[in-house]
Formats: sequence, C-alpha cells, structure tokens
Amino acid sequence: MKHIIEEESKYVASAKAFRANVTRDLGNEELRSNFRGAMDYLMDKRKGAFSSEDELEVLREQCKLIKQRCLAKLPHLLEQLEGNLEKNGIKVHWAETITEANEIIAQLIAQKKGKSVVKGKSMVSEETALNDYLEERNVECLESDMGEYIVQLAKEHPSHIIMPAIHQNKKQVAKLFADNIDGFEYSTDVDTLIQQGREVLRNKFCQADVGISGVNFAVAETGTLCLVENEGNGRMCTTIPDLHIAITGIEKVIEHLADVPPLLSLLTRSATGQAISTYFNMISSPRKLGEKDGPEEVHLVLLDNGRSQAFADEELKQTLQCIRCGACMNHCPVYTRIGGHAYGTVYPGPIGKMISPHMLGLEATTNLPTASTLCGACGEVCPVKIPIPKILLRLRQESVKPKSQQPQVMKGQGAGRNNVEALIWKVWAQVHKSPTMYALSMWGLTRFRFLMPKKLGGWTSVRTAPKPAATTLHQRINAKQKKTQQSQQERG
Amino acid sequence: MTNTKADIKAVSNTARGNILAKLKAEVNGADYKKLPEEVSFNYPKFSREENLAQFISELEKNHAQVIKTTKENMAEVISEQLKVLNITKLLYGENDSHREVINALDSKVDLQAYDFSIDNNKEMLFNECPAALSTSRCSIAATGSIVLWPDENEPRSLTLVPPVHLVIVDANELHADFASLMTSQQWQDKLPTNVVLVSGPSKTADIQQTLAYGAHGPKALIVLLINI
Repeated sequence: MKHIIEEESKYVASAKAFRANVTRDLGNEELRSNFRGAMDYLMDKRKGAFSSEDELEVLREQCKLIKQRCLAKLPHLLEQLEGNLEKNGIKVHWAETITEANEIIAQLIAQKKGKSVVKGKSMVSEETALNDYLEERNVECLESDMGEYIVQLAKEHPSHIIMPAIHQNKKQVAKLFADNIDGFEYSTDVDTLIQQGREVLRNKFCQADVGISGVNFAVAETGTLCLVENEGNGRMCTTIPDLHIAITGIEKVIEHLADVPPLLSLLTRSATGQAISTYFNMISSPRKLGEKDGPEEVHLVLLDNGRSQAFADEELKQTLQCIRCGACMNHCPVYTRIGGHAYGTVYPGPIGKMISPHMLGLEATTNLPTASTLCGACGEVCPVKIPIPKILLRLRQESVKPKSQQPQVMKGQGAGRNNVEALIWKVWAQVHKSPTMYALSMWGLTRFRFLMPKKLGGWTSVRTAPKPAATTLHQRINAKQKKTQQSQQERG
Repeated sequence: MTNTKADIKAVSNTARGNILAKLKAEVNGADYKKLPEEVSFNYPKFSREENLAQFISELEKNHAQVIKTTKENMAEVISEQLKVLNITKLLYGENDSHREVINALDSKVDLQAYDFSIDNNKEMLFNECPAALSTSRCSIAATGSIVLWPDENEPRSLTLVPPVHLVIVDANELHADFASLMTSQQWQDKLPTNVVLVSGPSKTADIQQTLAYGAHGPKALIVLLINI
C-alpha cells in the first residue's frame, strides 16, 4: 500500500516537473532528431494507408459513431461482457484504482505461486506501475515487446504508446544490449539486435508461469478479448504460460463482433499505416478439455482510474472514444519537439494531455492542457474524431475555475487559477461589456501608452513588449472613411 | 502477503458496484433508439481473380512467401522448401484434411505430430521444432490475412513457436474482407478458444523504425495456396 502511494506520488511529481522536463529535452539534440525522424516516418505511413480521402472520412465517422454508441451503453455492455466472459470461463475483476488493480493481479499470481511473468505490451499496466509493484513482491516481470524490453533495460518508461523505444536510436540500443545481455557481440545492425532480443525473450516465454497482456477491444456480445500486434509476443504471453491475466480500461468494451473490422482497420492504419497488423488475436476462453495448449486460467481486470469522471461530462466523455492509435502524437508539433518523456505522464502527447488530468487530477497536470499550440492537427487525424483541441480548451477552463464552484467536474478543479490573472480578466470583461467604460479605457490607453512596462514576465523573455498604438482602430477607420468620402466629393 | 482470495473478491465486488453505479447514473433513462444511424463505406466488388491477386500481393508485401500448388504436389513442394532452409524436421497437427500430404511427406522429412500436451514439452517445442505445417480455415483478400482456427488437433502454439510456419490456404475459401467474412460465417454465434488472423511473419520496427522479421514468432511464413 505504502509503496503504491509512493508510486502514485512519483507520477504526480513527474507530471508536475513538466516545465523543467521540457527545458531538459529541448536541449537534447540526439533525442530531437530521433523523434523528428520517427514522426516523419509515421505520418508518411499513415498518409499512404488510405485508398481515398472519402474512405478515410467515412471510416472515421463510422468508428466515431460505433464508439459513441458503445459509450452510451457502457455500463450495460460491461455487464454483458462480464456475463459472457464468465460463461466462457474467463474470470472478471474490477478495480477503481491502480492500487486495487495491482493487488488483484499480485494475488492471482500468488495463488498460482507464480514467480516469473512475461508481459505483452499494455499501457494500462504502465498506468498502474505494475512492474515495480510485482518486483517488490519478488515476482520477476519481463517486458516482451521489443520496444518495451529496450525501455525496461534502460530503466525508462515508454515515450510513445505504440513505439515505446522511439526515443532511442540503434546505437543507443546496441550499447544497452552490450551492457545487459551476456555474450552479446556488439553490433548496430537492427536484424542482429532483434535476433539477440529474440533469443533472450524466447527463453523467458518458455519458462514463465504467468503472461500479462492488455486488450485492444473487449467484445461484449461474444465475451472475446482482442489483441493487435506485429511481433507475436502478445500471442506468446497469452498462449504459453499457465495463467493469463489481461488488464484494460473500462472504455475498451465494444458491443458487437461486427464493430471489430472497421475499428481494427482504422486502428492499424492510423497507427503505423498497416492495412492490418501481423497478428490479430481473439481470445474467448481458457484451455478447454482436450486442448493441448493455452492457459488453464484466464482473467480480465477492468480498471476505472478516473475514466468514470470523464464519463460523467458530455464533452469530456469523448476522451473515452480513444482507441490508442497514437496518431495524435505522431502529428503533434509539440510532441515531436519535446518527446514523450517530457510530459512526465504514462500517456504522452495530445491523448495524454486529455486523459492524464482524469487519472492524476488537475493539480499534478495543470501545465499539460496548456502545452498545445491548438493547431488542430491532432483533431484532424483522430480516427474516432475526438475534438482534442476543444477538450484541451475545456480542461484549461476547468483548471482556472474557482476551486469551490459547483458542480465539480474534475478532480483538482481550479488548480491553475491565479487570482491576479482572474482579476485582470474580470476587469477586462467588465470594460468590454459597457460602451462608456470601453471608450474611457481606449482614451486612457492611447494617451498613457508610454506607461506600458518594458518587462511582462514570460511574454517578454523571448519577445519585445507590445505597446498600445497612439490611435484606436475605430479612430483610424473613421479617419480613413472620412478621407475617402472627401476625395469622392471632390471628384464628384 | 496477508490478503486472501476473499479479499480480492471483496475489493472487486465493491469496485464493480461503485463503477457501475457511477456509470448507470449517467445513462439513466437513455433512449437507445435515438442513437444516430451509423454509416459504412461501400467498398467496390472484386472478381475472384482480383481478390486472389490482392491477397497474394498483400502477403508478399509483408514478406510472406506464397507458393501456388496442388494437394498432389504439396508434399514435394514442402520438402523442397525445407531442403532450401536446411530443415529436416516438421511438426504438424493431426488433421484429416491433409492426411495424404503427411503420408507423402513421411519418406522425405522427419515428421512429428503435435499429439502431446504443451505442459511438459515447452523446451522441446521451443528448441527442437524448426518448422510447422498447419491448415487454415479461410482467408481475407483485402488485407492478405489467413484465418487460423486452432483446435485439439492443431494447437495454438503449432503456428506460433516453430521459426518456420507453412500454412495450407484454400483459394476457394477466400473472402473479400474481414467484415463480410464474419457476417457470412456468423462468427458471433460461436467462437472457439482462440482465433488468429496472420498476415505475414512476425516482425517489429521498434528499433529506429527499421523493419526486422522474426521478432518472437515465425521468421518465415510460407503459404501453400491450393485450388486457384
């Protein structure tokens, strides 16, 4: 318990350190070049993946409506999913917090006397900091996705939700392998590096007693867990060990099996530009009598962790439409420049800025919704049409609302409120509501413009201070119109 | 570890009640008949030949090897392929549909049936099975995907663990796309323990966006396409 509270506060602290992180990472040229290269590559791949703009737009509309329908029925679909999974022999567990999720998983492993876990890629398990929790209980927890494996060796966290080690180049990976893998012959050839990783990890698959995975879609109608992957480690984790535990957020449930094909098609094409991933794995039960392999037990842990808070607000609810393709971060000018670690949260980029405030509260994440130029690229590429810039604006508003204003939509409401700033805006609003006050203020501003201070905090750190003009726009237009009229009269 | 099984059950029950109550409070009284009508894209219809060409081209793009053959010639083709790869042993599932192929292969390669439980045989499966032969249920043209439908005879790990996967695909079972396949076969009525769509050999681009094949699963996928 104590440990997990520390874990939570670690995430809170790292999210709070946003500004310092940004300064640190902007100065790292190697990191910036790694991200620039990777984002250009991913944007290109996505662009080439759709036959026509028309197909893309129809698919986006379709998938948005599918996800909105599933969210509209969310509690009922969760119950239906649970019923069908249990009928199929898959046990379902519910967790409101990351601590509860970790405890459930630790207990399931302990009941089986498990000592060694292999993990398929799961961002939700990153969200719960599961690896650290299990390591503390003497359970070895090995990431088996190549990117996650690299990140784990480097004692880091993923910097991208689809390509976790995108911040590292092959030279850095080679060095990491040389430092950590016995008998590794130094090479920067990617094939050689992957083969080395393969050898290490295949041994682990063979020996592990527990496999942990995420879920891309949980189908309520059939009680099926769907996993999208290219490497085969997801299949390994869910097939070879005796015990398979899947963990996912409550928003991943979909109603029908027929909802899968459009969502899958849009997910892989938006993420990496692939028509489909190498493997699409659909799991509907543990090993049945007579079957020769597959886990004896399969469990699903459904995690809330702030999602129900987003669900309670009609606008913020759209956050939960996300299918975690990563296209928003690939196209984000801010993400490309500062990289995934600067955010200090498990989910970086635009999706992270939207979802992290629900998970960690606005106190810890005040800066995140403001770390956007609102250029709109994320909203334009989002496969399920989440109006990301609008939601970021909304989160900014929630963050500067008076702390006590009801109803309280977000944990940490008003965390970014600055009384001086609030007062300035209040006065500004008053002035603009009254014609007399407005005229008076313009009169004053044009005459006393020399009183404008030269230094205006952060604004003037990279800019010169603005100076009000000697005449207002109204005056100048009036003067111009007068001049035109005069010249017309003279000509006429 | 002081918690007992009852504890996590209690934690889970409480969480379940709280989560569902919160969510239900928000959807209370919702009229699902009023949900907007959903759209879908009308994909053009393709001929059998066009679908086949698409299927093969997608698979080849993803580094699978596609060999057009017949049931009669298959044993010959398989043994040739294994020779090229310097492999002498083949793991297979005991499945009546390709019994003759297996019989014909008997004199050519060292055959091993997957007739054992994985439980005490993981080391052998991982270290002593260089190649595997499996059947498939059907396939999907649009994405070049092969539908594996593992069962007692063809276990899930048969097509996953050995570094080379040879798979028999019947061109008569080729469907245009995933959506129409699911609908036509009514998958929603009954799904087996596991279904896998395979669209190439295992791969990763996790190191500097450079594609590398053979990440964890098969390094090579050899598709034996019959009835073209």
